[in-house]
Amino acid sequence: MYYDLNIPYAAENHGELKQTLAFLAELGYNTVALNHTISGKVPENVTNQIPSPLPFSSPPSLHILRRCTVHLSDPSQNHRLNNISSAYDIVALRPTTDKCLQQACLGFECDLISLDLSTRFPFYFKHSTLAVALERGIKFEICYGAGILNSDGGASRRNLISNATQLIRVTRGRGIVVSSEAKRALACRGPADVINMAVLWGLGQERGAEAIGREARSATVQAELKRRSHGGVVDVMYGGEKPERPAREDKVAKAKQGIGKRKAEVLESQVADGNVSPRPISKREQKRQAKKARLEHTNTQEGEAESTWKDRPAPEASVPPEPLANGDGE
Amino acid sequence: MVRIKHRYLLVHILYPESADSQSKNTSDTSEKSLPYLVQFHRPSPNELTPQLLARAIRDQVLLLYGDYGLGLVSSSLNVKYLSPATSTAIIRCSRDQYRLVWGALAYMTHLPKNSKQAPPRPCVMQVVRTSGTIKKAEQEAIKRARAAILRTKRESGDGSADGLIGLFSQPDEEAVGVSGNGKARDIAGSDVSDEEDEMDVEFEDEGD
Repeated sequence: MYYDLNIPYAAENHGELKQTLAFLAELGYNTVALNHTISGKVPENVTNQIPSPLPFSSPPSLHILRRCTVHLSDPSQNHRLNNISSAYDIVALRPTTDKCLQQACLGFECDLISLDLSTRFPFYFKHSTLAVALERGIKFEICYGAGILNSDGGASRRNLISNATQLIRVTRGRGIVVSSEAKRALACRGPADVINMAVLWGLGQERGAEAIGREARSATVQAELKRRSHGGVVDVMYGGEKPERPAREDKVAKAKQGIGKRKAEVLESQVADGNVSPRPISKREQKRQAKKARLEHTNTQEGEAESTWKDRPAPEASVPPEPLANGDGE
Repeated sequence: MVRIKHRYLLVHILYPESADSQSKNTSDTSEKSLPYLVQFHRPSPNELTPQLLARAIRDQVLLLYGDYGLGLVSSSLNVKYLSPATSTAIIRCSRDQYRLVWGALAYMTHLPKNSKQAPPRPCVMQVVRTSGTIKKAEQEAIKRARAAILRTKRESGDGSADGLIGLFSQPDEEAVGVSGNGKARDIAGSDVSDEEDEMDVEFEDEGD
């Protein structure tokens, strides 16, 4: 998976953007972030300037994210970063002065710090401040596009190389993301070429490969977690579903119709109604009653000479009337 | 046996921007209807010769690294193969400095640079494979060309392509199988294990 997290988006230039995206897919990139830049004052209610399904067809192999870059030049200004971060997938800051860079590293809530490396900075990057940002999981971005197009006769390329080596030295090569910031398709380079460029800047083959793969991925995933999850730690991917239960009314209704087991309530209601049907007798009960009747029959035939203990079943008459229903009483 | 070790870079020359800015005389509609794959892998102009490409790379190395860099690179820099039809090139350079040459290629934006016949066109040089032998670079070039043809046919949705895909994809697999230890690697730059063989020495004699 290769990432290019900075492709400038311009609303009036869809044809060229379409071509750039197709070219990036051809070069082998999988995820691309379209970038909207806010410089100066941040509007009160921020809305996403990039339409979510793009108005033209983009290559199907390409996953497209939406990102916003805020230029920081005035440290006292309110940048409403929280509003921006809820509207965009990734929020990046582009500080222009030493003080703004410090603020961005120490305090501001963002996912990327994207310095404009094609200009000359009147200050050095300090490890102590950048390390704080790295601790917080913020990545530093190097955009190589300006160095390739080289529109101003070599100055931007020189500055880019000098600043990139500085940045790599100060951060010890950790937390670096390389992206293109290509205004034209011409400024994009294949992943292997970008890795080689990073090697020439002093990043090393492994770190270079991470810069457009793993580090960029972790930046996007962290950004997503910050927006969706609880405290940036816990995220519910799939909460499961409740199994559907059949309604309870069915059972009672069934019993009232006389199908299935009878319920006590039904019986009571029938008794109250007065239409008490004699309880049907089980086979066991029938047999027992038949046997009893037979015994008594023989007793009366054999006469009263027999001992009194056989008369014991005699109080049968006091037994509840159900047995009589059988029909073969004394 | 002691010999000079080389690296061979297999390079695709891609044309990311449609040609309408250069050649207004060709009809715009035919250009637009082409799939992007074909547009990017457009044939290079015939004016682009191996000598011109070598000189363009030398110029770029001189621009980026100065006399010192050019001195390191130039003794072994050589364009071994250039096919304008497929816009593919194999560039030989010394093993110690191949990253310098690669970097110079990455910073190139226009070709052919100083030709009198053809105007420069914007292009992107993409290194798709580095290898220690020219043989492996060649095999990779053939493999990629074949895959590109199949992909184009599939994307353009040509009805006749269905039969052809089956026809072509089989020998493709066979070819890979026959080559045996041909590791199909997508990413250039990490394949150092290739052994140099007889073929390489032959080519070397020709080249110098």
